[in-house]
Amino acid sequence: MSTHLTFAVPSKGRLMEQTAEFLAASGVTLRKVGPERGYRGEIEGFGNIDVAFISASEIVGALNSGRAHIGVTGEDLVRENIVNVDERVELVKPLGFGHADVVVAVPACWIDVNEVADLEAAAAVFRREHGRLFRVATKYINITRRFLSRHGLADYRIVESLGATEGTPAAGTADLIVDITSTGATLVANGLRVLNDGVILKSEANLVLSKVADWSDAAKAAGNDLFTRLGLPNRV
Amino acid sequence: MAGAQPANFEALEAQARTLLAIFIASGYEAVAPDIIQPAGVFLDVVGETLRGRTYVFTDLNGEEMCLRPDLTVPTCRLYLARHPQADREAFYSYNGPAFRFQPVGANASHPREFRQAGIEAFGGEDACEADARTLVLILRALQQAGLSKWRLQTGDVGLFDALLDDANMPERWRRRLRDHFWRPDALHAELKRLSTEPARSAAAFPRSLIDALDPEDPAGAENLVAAYLDEQGIELIGARTAAEIAEGLLGIAADAKAPPLKPETAALIESYVGTHLPAAEVAPALRRFAGSAGAGFARAIDAYERRLKLLADSGVDVASMEFSAEFGRNVGYYTGFVFEVIAETLGAESPVAGGGRYDSLLKAVGAPRNVSAVGAAIHTERLLAVVRGAKA
Repeated sequence: MSTHLTFAVPSKGRLMEQTAEFLAASGVTLRKVGPERGYRGEIEGFGNIDVAFISASEIVGALNSGRAHIGVTGEDLVRENIVNVDERVELVKPLGFGHADVVVAVPACWIDVNEVADLEAAAAVFRREHGRLFRVATKYINITRRFLSRHGLADYRIVESLGATEGTPAAGTADLIVDITSTGATLVANGLRVLNDGVILKSEANLVLSKVADWSDAAKAAGNDLFTRLGLPNRV
Repeated sequence: MAGAQPANFEALEAQARTLLAIFIASGYEAVAPDIIQPAGVFLDVVGETLRGRTYVFTDLNGEEMCLRPDLTVPTCRLYLARHPQADREAFYSYNGPAFRFQPVGANASHPREFRQAGIEAFGGEDACEADARTLVLILRALQQAGLSKWRLQTGDVGLFDALLDDANMPERWRRRLRDHFWRPDALHAELKRLSTEPARSAAAFPRSLIDALDPEDPAGAENLVAAYLDEQGIELIGARTAAEIAEGLLGIAADAKAPPLKPETAALIESYVGTHLPAAEVAPALRRFAGSAGAGFARAIDAYERRLKLLADSGVDVASMEFSAEFGRNVGYYTGFVFEVIAETLGAESPVAGGGRYDSLLKAVGAPRNVSAVGAAIHTERLLAVVRGAKA
């Protein structure tokens, strides 16, 4: 049984800084312990909380497995990497940073395709002309599949893309993409356009609670103390 | 769930020998298609919905492979490897593992690894006869393995296709309705849209360009699209051509001018989709409400009736067979007769066997044309569980 609560915090970049700022606004101070480049930390005045600095995508895994009790990570990563989100975690509070929209974008020259519903006709002709399905490049495989299936599109195939997704239509390795965008400038620069109803998810960083972690009395008490300090209702 | 227990393993092996012996004795050659398959075949052919259920991985050469989610596509590929022209009749049987991701967790009736014993028949000329033969043989094998009671759930995707083919509407509307068939809400919404306001929000499309396009002049339309893109400073990127974009715009223009789908046609399609009847009552009922729907639908009903008679003549209890028009659309490749064998102890969510006709699958996998094909597979672990339960 855990006597401590594990709080997973992004280990680098803007996301880590903004998480620290969010906590600091409530007078909560994160501190690394051990060597300068270490990945463990603590919160001043909360002896029962262990801070684990890990990457935002690994935080989702830690919450889903219960290795972390709470964590800060993007809603996009939560929705992509956990199958039954509501059973595994709770999105406690959107934090107002780490904004990114997950969108469907097509080549701007597809002037006959404005909405997701228009893709079906284009896909049928494409299959006739090229003998294959549309390829959708994305790293959001599950989000994409759920979204397109909800719109009744079946004639497509996902190709997993782990970087430079916006370049895949011009390079010919995919026909359209699902990717995150904040300003849309990268999409435009790559000759792409977001479909009118193509915003799948308006994501931002969230404080996320694991429902499957070992919520011992000590962990509950530590969690409630922290939530009270952050001005959030007690959850556990 | 742990893998098969030793006792189970022996029993499954014995059961498999029983099933295969029957298939082989009926002229179905035993084959062993590859377990690891190129993922592209499944994903390009069956579509992305199956990917959610398939273990896909990248091998060290960077090629996308998968553990076969069923044995039908692998058996099609084996047939085409032997007969690239798909010009021979062939009958295959198999018994081997298939793998499926279970999104809400694996359990005894929905394992991630299970063994299928089944048959596939390619190239037959008499579809009704081949359909009936497939179901009869599967039932005989199930019976031989110890299954004494079951329920038969059937459908016929060909009836829906024939109904649409007869209905007066543009081909692209038919395609849309076919795409939506498996989702009742979406089909209903689409029928309503087509029968009231079929024009897509044309305001969003370049009006002047659409007006300039001539449906009778595809080459001219392609040039106009290319010129429009040029003038707007939009680069043509990707595999889709200006000709395809022009065709898309022409479709939008045609939708804007098309008279709506007749309400009686929409109503006919709705009432067909809502059909749930004992299999023996289907043909008279469809004839009654279809009235003079069309010659193709009438022929499809005749074929349905003939197949039912062939089944009855072979001793299948057609009186207790059920028919549901919606049944069978959840697997994208079925094109005709579809069926599931359900044991009461496991329920309709876990059929012990299932199969159907899939005439367009071989072409999608590489055959030069559509090839008549029908097959079925037994979920052997479920069969064993039911048979053992019955004995206990």
